[in-house]
Amino acid sequence: MRTLILRRARAQWPLLAAVLAVVTVGATLLGVCALLVTRTSDRALEVAASRAVPASTEVTAYTVTIAPRDVASVDADTRSVLREAVTPFGSVLAGRMSTVMRPVPIGSTGAQGLAYLSGVENLTDRASLVTGRWPRPGAGEAVLLERTAKALGARPGSRVRLGVELVRDPAPELTVTVVGVVRPRAGGGWERDPLEGAGYVPDYRDGSALRTAQAFGPFLMDYRELLAGGSTMSRLEITARPDLGASSPRELDRLGRGVREADRRLSAVLGERVQIERVASRLPAVLAATERQQRVTSSAVLAVAVLGAVLTAAALRLAGRLTADVRAAETALLSAAGTSRVQLTGLAIAESALLALLAVAVAAPLSSLAHAALTHLPPLDSAGLAAGPALSGPQLLAVGIGAALLFLPTPARSGLARSGADVALVALAAGAWFSARSGGADARIDVVRVLVPALLLAGGCVIALRLAPPALRAADRWAARRASGLALPLAMSEAARRPRAVAAGLLVTLGCAAATFAVAFDATWHRSQLDQANLSVGADLVLTLGAPAVAGQGAEVSRATGGQARPAVNRGVAIGQWIGGGDEPPRLVAVRGAAEAPGVPLRTGAALTVTGRATGPDRLSVTPQLVLEDASGLRTACTAPAIPLDGRPHPLPDCVPVDGMRLVAVMLPVAADEFAYDSVRTSDITVDLSVPGSAGWTAASAEPYSGQLRSPKVTTNGSSLRLTANVALGGPPDAARRLVATAFPAPGPVPATVSAALATQLSVGPGDQLDILVGLATVPVRIERVTESVAAAPGAPAIAADLDTLSRALLARGEPQFPIDAWWVTGATDASGLHLGDIRTRTGEAARLTTGPVPAALPGALRLLVPAAVLLLLAGLVLHVTCDLQARAVEVARLRGLGMTRRDIRTTLLGQHTVVLLPMLVAGTAVGAAATWLVSPLLVRAETGGVPVPAVAAVWPWPAEAALLALLLAATALAVAAVVAVQSRRADAAHLRVAS
Amino acid sequence: MSALVSVRDVHRRFGSGPATVHALRGVSFDVEAGSMVALVGRSGSGKTTLLNVVGGLDRPDEGSVVVDGDEVTALGEDGLSRLRREKVSYVFQTFGLIPVLSAAENVGAPLRLARTPAADREKRVALLLDLVGLSDHAGQRPGEMSGGQQQRVAIARALAGSPRLLIADEPTGQLDAETGRSVMALLRAVVESEGVTALVSTHDPVMMALADRVIRISDGQVDA
Repeated sequence: MRTLILRRARAQWPLLAAVLAVVTVGATLLGVCALLVTRTSDRALEVAASRAVPASTEVTAYTVTIAPRDVASVDADTRSVLREAVTPFGSVLAGRMSTVMRPVPIGSTGAQGLAYLSGVENLTDRASLVTGRWPRPGAGEAVLLERTAKALGARPGSRVRLGVELVRDPAPELTVTVVGVVRPRAGGGWERDPLEGAGYVPDYRDGSALRTAQAFGPFLMDYRELLAGGSTMSRLEITARPDLGASSPRELDRLGRGVREADRRLSAVLGERVQIERVASRLPAVLAATERQQRVTSSAVLAVAVLGAVLTAAALRLAGRLTADVRAAETALLSAAGTSRVQLTGLAIAESALLALLAVAVAAPLSSLAHAALTHLPPLDSAGLAAGPALSGPQLLAVGIGAALLFLPTPARSGLARSGADVALVALAAGAWFSARSGGADARIDVVRVLVPALLLAGGCVIALRLAPPALRAADRWAARRASGLALPLAMSEAARRPRAVAAGLLVTLGCAAATFAVAFDATWHRSQLDQANLSVGADLVLTLGAPAVAGQGAEVSRATGGQARPAVNRGVAIGQWIGGGDEPPRLVAVRGAAEAPGVPLRTGAALTVTGRATGPDRLSVTPQLVLEDASGLRTACTAPAIPLDGRPHPLPDCVPVDGMRLVAVMLPVAADEFAYDSVRTSDITVDLSVPGSAGWTAASAEPYSGQLRSPKVTTNGSSLRLTANVALGGPPDAARRLVATAFPAPGPVPATVSAALATQLSVGPGDQLDILVGLATVPVRIERVTESVAAAPGAPAIAADLDTLSRALLARGEPQFPIDAWWVTGATDASGLHLGDIRTRTGEAARLTTGPVPAALPGALRLLVPAAVLLLLAGLVLHVTCDLQARAVEVARLRGLGMTRRDIRTTLLGQHTVVLLPMLVAGTAVGAAATWLVSPLLVRAETGGVPVPAVAAVWPWPAEAALLALLLAATALAVAAVVAVQSRRADAAHLRVAS
Repeated sequence: MSALVSVRDVHRRFGSGPATVHALRGVSFDVEAGSMVALVGRSGSGKTTLLNVVGGLDRPDEGSVVVDGDEVTALGEDGLSRLRREKVSYVFQTFGLIPVLSAAENVGAPLRLARTPAADREKRVALLLDLVGLSDHAGQRPGEMSGGQQQRVAIARALAGSPRLLIADEPTGQLDAETGRSVMALLRAVVESEGVTALVSTHDPVMMALADRVIRISDGQVDA
């Protein structure tokens, strides 16, 4: 048997080489896919972890209210818990703490405000020294923020006496020496400061008192000194930043578990020493999201691998049939010589095993090399996934499975159509598609979803093959009737009537369909990721602020980015009593539109003054808040110190207008030395603000208890704005007593668009009205329309509104704070040099979603599928044409005997293959397009594994598809022409020499 | 009568060096127009090579072949194709029919090559099928017919283009004796009815008996 196999192999080596090539290509493709879903996938996790922004990997422990005696131990124990949580990774820990409030004298007026101490590790990295020096440990020294120093009138060398802590068991008063003034740095974490880095808040309310107070701080002391300094800590937070530079998936998994368990562990360790403790980190969620994205990618890559396997099986099926045809006479001879069926089967298995071993020997290193080469090409290379060639267990298994396809039985000559297997395949494909379509959208590797592309493509191809014979027969009839020569009718007859003419049909159609599908699916996947990026980011560039916005910042952002910055808000809100049905609250997304700016234009550098009078014996004061709008549409509230209504003009030194500023609203909180609940006295107040007058102003009294400030009026006289009201000096102590003047009438409900998710969850629609809580104010909105999704909140229950209208509604309710979380910049070209917060760009997000380490394997696999499909198609085609022409060599030679020229013979042979191949390629393209349309919505997933928002729209990249089809046509034409040329040249007397 | 075919000192060798096979060694003979000549010899004697050379399917190494005034050895590819379309036709031992075409389509193939108008082609095909007694089998493909029927279709196809010379290489080699005899009789009949000249290689004594002349060939030479 061995002799027979070897001698036959020597005689039929071209045929066996072609079979070996086919199985090697298929096994190599499977091997590369296995490496993509194992080695590359693991590496992608590592790279993704190492590239994660610090904010997404840091782990922060928060502790609240710590007695002086426990502060040091809580700090040490918390650090220990964090270090253990991020094991085995090394980490950098940084602490920040703030004391409870103490009374502080305000200048020389005798009035008192509130102040607190803070200790910040690495302070020099978080703030820059403006004047003086940094505090020394153990010396009772502190530095102040510029605004704090200014508000308190403190400077280096000043000694500030802070009173007894305002808590039970208070620490005694202390004196702090101011040694410097500092300015917060962007990204310094000042948003976690009790006053969010503002340095001074005139109406601070921490929830422990009904009345507001002026708050100053922080007094920034040395961290270690404060740790041992005997103050009660209001909050202590320690952040660990693990170094994920060299991580493995197992270590990352352990890290995720450690962080998730840290909260419980911290609680157990700290016990009663703190009132509240919590460990918070985005890290577990980030790792989980990365793993979900990894599974989504692996699922799609596996679908590609299955498609490759089906394609290989189709090629091997063809090769098997051709081999059987070539060996038909030999097999008959062996049978006639007494070789049993079992022996023949054993012979076939032995030969297949030999070929399979050879294929594995070639495909294993080849797949390693191909994978290494693939990882050195975009997008894998740019994703940091470049790797050298290496063998792995899963890869060898996949290669073995590919080689084992050789052992698939060759179907009977009856073919798919006659056996009915094609109908069964189509039914199976349809069932799988419906199943996947109705299945849930998650990140699991779903077997049906993995199989659907291959089933649909194969099903589509067998349908096309069903249509081929009648179409060819019709063409044959037409040619016989209309053509006068022999070449064309004979070519058509050969194509239509020869049973073996469409033997390569399944492979050709499937190969073309797979290649065109890969190209179109790649384009569709990219388009979807770009759409998702565009929708989720909301603008070309989004700068999410780390600190409150300041006037003129919009112009700075526009200059730095080269675009047009607009203020925007994107935050979770409560809608009435509803705070969302899932983990995330409903989102409010609002961006400043192009509406004309209201209000009074102010002269740059104008010195504004306030002059006020009040009737009656009581001493009243106001704390004016001027809401100014800059050229970018940002509204900032400028708060003046308390101004007595004594008839004298008082300057507003903190409210100096800059270029293009307009005054859009004025808030006047009225205060008295004493409010007695049962007092019935009132006072008429008149306040003049030295700004140019203009029409259209509206006055109102803010809630709560708006009735405590009656008859609010605003008038203008050309050079000033006059606000008048009657203030009740009794009544509820927490009444607002705030006169609100706006440069526009109070808007009604804010027109809004809501997402379909919100409309569904709340059962609301156009015309309905909702109340949303923005800050501390409730704003009514009216639903104008329902849309699939709201920009920057894809898929979430969300409300979109115009920020200007929303702000007007808030101002009209006495809420001076402009809701701004971010700058949305259109036409941005560059974001370097901006250190105001997190920056996301649409291009960056698109790059992350398409060429990031985790998703990069999918386009890589798709780009590998295209050449693999083309190679398999061509290999099978050449094999088919060669065998066909060899089997018909005598027949072709006899055509010469009829008087056909070689040219006619070539025309006939080319024609018969063309009329089969051309429709097959066209059909393959059509099947590829249809499969893209059907499969894309099932296979393209968001990185979370969910259905992408916006919905996937199939893309048919005409230039790429046309180029691919042209390549296939050219390659098949070249292959067929070459074989036909050789065969027609050989069609001579040698083939006719019989029995001479 | 004048000679339609004139073969002079034709040599044909295959291979080179010590393995060279001399298939034809200075063969010379003439075939009169309208006659039926039987070429007789053992297997390997050079009959098929000689027929291929006469029909222009093969080229001799030396010598000349003239068919109906055309010096075959001097013709190029196109000239040889034209010769086979217009003057010479073949009947092969294994019939040589095109499997995917019906009997009528096979017979019509030479007429299509000659660009004969469809109406004339159909008329001629019907006539020839009637001549070989296969009018009822016009739509059948070769695979659906017996060997004798196929050879009769092959003869009809060979006559379709009204050739001057019909070359038949062992036309009864694949047929049983009875069928072979009927095919031979048919050949003899069409030679007479169509006025065609026939050069037939055969082992069949019946064929030899039907021939006007028998040329014996052995070891690549015509026996004296």
